Amino acid sequence: MTGGSELRINRDTRDRGTPKAIRQALGAFLTALRIEPPLREDIVMAVGEAIANAVEHAYDTDDPGTVELHALTDAQNTLLVDVYDRGAFIERDLREGRGLGLRIVRAIARAVSIDTEGGTRIRMVFDTGAPPEQTTI
Amino acid sequence: MDPQSSLDVVRLVGELDVSRRSELATALSQAGGGRAVLIDLSAVSYIDSTVVAELLRFRNEADANGRPVAVLIGSQQLARVIEYAGLAHAFAVFDDRGRALTFLAGTSPT
Repeated sequence: MTGGSELRINRDTRDRGTPKAIRQALGAFLTALRIEPPLREDIVMAVGEAIANAVEHAYDTDDPGTVELHALTDAQNTLLVDVYDRGAFIERDLREGRGLGLRIVRAIARAVSIDTEGGTRIRMVFDTGAPPEQTTI
Repeated sequence: MDPQSSLDVVRLVGELDVSRRSELATALSQAGGGRAVLIDLSAVSYIDSTVVAELLRFRNEADANGRPVAVLIGSQQLARVIEYAGLAHAFAVFDDRGRALTFLAGTSPT
């Protein structure tokens, strides 16, 4: 995997296509980095949970808001993903309502941190493993 | 058909996430009064925890009514998300329809 690759996405939480669109973009990003299934699917799954958390209450309240994703690789085969929701008006229920989701994130990510200052930022760190060996045809 | 011997099948397709949670809840609520329920997710390629929570709520309700539930999957992503949620033992999950039906046929009404 190469170092320094980056993906940034910003989407409207009221758009019901937002979770799927972000998952697809992240999946394409991971594919370009040669991260194979099932690890690729698992990373998309964990990030999908963070996205679901960001949009869940927006669906219920129809309040406007955006969800941002920032994914960044380094040279040590580590992927850092931040999912950030600026909507301070959104009522949070991270410990109970999304308990299953956080359990899934923690089962997949090497490290998870949640910052609720001025919104919610879920930071996930993933090991992406050794890069596949180059093959010649 | 005798409702006490009948099987309700709830079938969904595509990617099931938070945006389709209410659709799933509606589909499950429309399951008839048969003796057992097969939730057919064999054409579903993705589920998230909001879907798992909805399935768990339905399974708990079915349990209380003595109705066995089997979940049929076509993608191992579904099995893994259930496992990661710590609910591998909460659902009867099958990747083969025949085995799912055999399981439901072998469960006795309570």
